[in-house]
Amino acid sequence: MQKKKMEILEHEQLADDIFRLKLAGDIGARPGQFVQVGVASTLEPFLNRPFSVHNCTESSLTLLYRVVGRGTRLLAQRPKGAILSVVGPLGNGFPRTKKRQAVLVAGGIGVAPLYYLLHTLRAEGKDVSFLYGTKTAAEIVLENEFRSLVQEFHLTTEDGSAGKQGFVTELLPQVLAEKQADIFACGPSAMLRAVAKIATQMDLTCFVSLEAEMACGVGACLGCVVTGADGNYRRVCTDGPVFAAGEVFSFDS
Amino acid sequence: MTLDLTVKIGNLLLKNPVMPASGCFGYGEEYAAFYDLSCLGAIVVTGTTAEPRPGNPPARLVETPGGMLNAIGLQNPGVEAACEKIRRLQPYKTPVIVNVAGNTVEEYLQVIKVLEREETVAAYEINISCPNVKAGGMAFGTEPGTAAKLVAALRPATSKTLIVKLSPNVTDIVAVAKAVETAGADAVSLINTLLGMAIDVEQRRPVLANLTGGLSGPAVKPVALRMVWQVSAAVNIPVIGMGGISNAEDAVSFLLAGASAVAIGAANFRNPTVCPEVIAGIKDYLLRHGFQSVREITGLARTEEEKRRRAK
Repeated sequence: MQKKKMEILEHEQLADDIFRLKLAGDIGARPGQFVQVGVASTLEPFLNRPFSVHNCTESSLTLLYRVVGRGTRLLAQRPKGAILSVVGPLGNGFPRTKKRQAVLVAGGIGVAPLYYLLHTLRAEGKDVSFLYGTKTAAEIVLENEFRSLVQEFHLTTEDGSAGKQGFVTELLPQVLAEKQADIFACGPSAMLRAVAKIATQMDLTCFVSLEAEMACGVGACLGCVVTGADGNYRRVCTDGPVFAAGEVFSFDS
Repeated sequence: MTLDLTVKIGNLLLKNPVMPASGCFGYGEEYAAFYDLSCLGAIVVTGTTAEPRPGNPPARLVETPGGMLNAIGLQNPGVEAACEKIRRLQPYKTPVIVNVAGNTVEEYLQVIKVLEREETVAAYEINISCPNVKAGGMAFGTEPGTAAKLVAALRPATSKTLIVKLSPNVTDIVAVAKAVETAGADAVSLINTLLGMAIDVEQRRPVLANLTGGLSGPAVKPVALRMVWQVSAAVNIPVIGMGGISNAEDAVSFLLAGASAVAIGAANFRNPTVCPEVIAGIKDYLLRHGFQSVREITGLARTEEEKRRRAK
């Protein structure tokens, strides 16, 4: 965990409101961990913004983000060569599991951390099925790269403008049916709940990566808590952002 | 020439006047990854109550212009479990100040009773100003008589330094400060957060589950500075100034206004190394202006202002 000044090497728009930001330097993050980024050098906006690690090498850190508000709008304007303050790596990351097969479920910008996980799992020789759902075709990023890397690729859009029309979770039971796989998911809360429910019904191990409004990112401020399945609060920043599905979702059977 | 950064707060001799603000620094361990905590003047740990408190439901925080609102609700593991975490700070050989909160006088007393056994604990910061809990907290801090009664009840329970953290959500903070001084406080710290609110206009509902929260960050600094100025003019005990300090310049302005020491809160969230940076910046300021001790600048803006006014 460190605070680093990192220079923007590349900053490009990949799709509607979706940007890829490559920074120089090694932050040493594992898949599923995140960083806090000072989007402006001024005191306004006041808080850093948390972003999952999209890729991490010995020489660079890549983030993939969607412009959703003031902070990300400002970040999108930062040019190549600008220096950003980055704190990380933060959070627990995806655990390493034993099964040879993995099913990754990405919803919208939730695709960001799964890219890094996918590369890591493939490097470990695992079979990966990738399910990717967005609202519409204009939000899809890196489709060709995903297709070339995985054993099985499924695309859905809510409006049917690309891939199969519907929610990504509708495909999940049939994808899981023929496998003994662990599930890794990142996306909107409703999607994660649906994935967790299917995993519970099929008795499969499932990890979900959550997001929350965050201040410190290091476990001190207690601002980012979510209510766990047992009713106790958990900090998304340090107890997560990756949780075993059963820890944060419960289902009345 | 050696620079003297030491300040005295009650029985405490701090190696420098910079400490994190309670509630913004957990139990210290979160920031130990970024720097050696022994560089701090003191370590101030989060609001601790007799029993564990789960805190308020989410959403608990929202960014606002120049700062943030929080409604954590004093989430803490209770004093017994807190002791274990506090003991881990012993190796830093730096005074540990524990923020103490409660709903009743008895609860405050209970927390102090347990912490009295802990050698690591050097002082108490009595929280009479938390705006995010239904009972207690701020209820003790908004009326001088009630605040004084609490402090008078706690004073015989300890010979350790007793700091009282004041609420800005009052008509006359000076009256509360004077009341707790008379009741036996060794120092006052101010300000806690300012009660505020945010509304999501698309959803037409308050953003925070608690409806209201405490405002902190640069937005509150002018209010905090004004209150430190007024309180330090009115009391004879040291003032620990806080509220929106983000850099050394902010910290120096609080010292000049009359604070003997400063605490840094929400700025830790955006910059985890802000505390050591502020310590270095204060040193730099003192050297640049030819001061030999940080104590020389406490209240200097006021005394110089008084001189100017007399000369007219």
